[in-house]
This record gives sequence, structure tokens and C-alpha cells, in this order.
Amino acid sequence: MMTCTKNERQWFLQNIAQGLVDYLSVMRPPVPIEDLLRNPPALYDSDFGVVEMNSELWDATFARLPDQSGHVFVHSNLDPETRRFALARETLSALITSKHGQKMGLFELVEPHLRESAEFFARILLAPPRLLCRFCADDRSVMKMVADFKIPIHAASKRCEELSMA
Amino acid sequence: MSMQSLNQLVARSIIDPGIVQAFTSGSMSEILDEMDLSPELRSDLGQLEARSFVEFAIKAYRIVKASEARLLEIDLPSPMAGLIPDRDYLEDDQAA
Repeated sequence: MMTCTKNERQWFLQNIAQGLVDYLSVMRPPVPIEDLLRNPPALYDSDFGVVEMNSELWDATFARLPDQSGHVFVHSNLDPETRRFALARETLSALITSKHGQKMGLFELVEPHLRESAEFFARILLAPPRLLCRFCADDRSVMKMVADFKIPIHAASKRCEELSMA
Repeated sequence: MSMQSLNQLVARSIIDPGIVQAFTSGSMSEILDEMDLSPELRSDLGQLEARSFVEFAIKAYRIVKASEARLLEIDLPSPMAGLIPDRDYLEDDQAA
């Protein structure tokens, strides 16, 4: 397996997140993450899905059923921002375990750093650079990002940090 | 522009199976021909050996990044420019 740096891994994840945003033809925030999972690209027909659950163990988790279809099982009582972030985070697990993702070699790239990668991927998917440039050019405050992009405060805060380091 | 082209290639690869198929069938050169790359970069990327598309992309990223860093070194004036007195100027000054 090839070794790569965190920056290289994040570069790759940022671009595949942008690929999904491009697929959705998103012109303005918020990115419709739930639409992506409920109406996926044909390539991921059997990999994306949303199932409501009431578990105290997690906000959302990705799992495959015995027929290999993939679903994000999400707690039904989450606030909208937390729900969106959890769905976006688990989308990476759907991608890396999909046939296409495995053919790409995504699993090997991400699996050793799954949690960190999934959270980074979710932040980029929900607040992609091009949309941020267009809609937060003058005001990149955490609260503006929370309001426009409908993401949790912790994600907006981390995204602001990432932008200041870029 | 090259990095932008590579970014677009990776972005497309997540929804376009044709890119990964081109990689696995050994015909990445056809994809590279469509990209905005210098002939040197196209040749370098065309010769990359990788076991997966992700590995190809990461190796390509390193090559393109290094190439852009070299271009920056060539284009940017030295930070010392203007700080060190010009030798000819000094000599003229001394002669006077």
C-alpha cells in the first residue's frame, strides 16, 4: 500500500467532495446532502440510502445489509445541522465501500484514518471552497457559515481554521 | 492550470467510471491528452506506475506540485532584490 501525507489525502478528499457538489450542480448553499443520498448518481444506486433509527449509541452510521445495499442509519431526532453533518460524514464510508470506490483504491487511502478523513470530507462537502468564495468572501465568520451552509458550529469553526491556514 | 486540471480529473473520477476504467485498462494517456498539461508533464504523468487510480492521482499531485514550485522559483524575483547595493553602482560611487 502506498504511503501519503495528510495533506495529500486531504487534497484527494477535497476533490472528490467537489466532484459530488458538481454532480449536484449546487449554485448556492446549503448543499443538499440528503438529496444526494436519496437520489444518488447511477454509480451509487445500491450504495446510498437513508434509514431513520432511534439509537442512543450514535448520531449516524453507515452499514451494508446482507444484500450488500448500503444505507446511512441516522438518528431521527437530530437537529438539522447535526443531521446534515452526520449524513455527509457517513457518505465517505458509502463511497469507500462501494464497488467504484474500491476500484479507485479509496478504501486503502482512507481506512487507516477513517474518522479524521470522514469529518474532513463532510466539512468540505457541506462547505466547499468554491461556494465559500462566492458566499462568504466578505464575512468568513463561524456564525455566517453556520447560517448559510447549515452546518454545526464545531464544523464551521474548524472550516474557518482550515481556510485561515490555506 | 495543471493543478486545476488534475483537481478536475479527480473530481470527475468519483462520478465518472470512464476515468477509472481508462486507468485500469492502461489508457490513461487518452485522458491526459484531454487535460491542460505541458508536454513534459503529460509525458511524466503518462509514465507513472501505480496500482490504483488513487495512487496514480497522489503521485501525479506530487509531480504537478513540484513542477509548479519550480515555475514559481523561476518567476519570482529574489527577496534580496533591491536590498543589496548594486556592484556597479558601488564601484561608480567609489571612483567619484
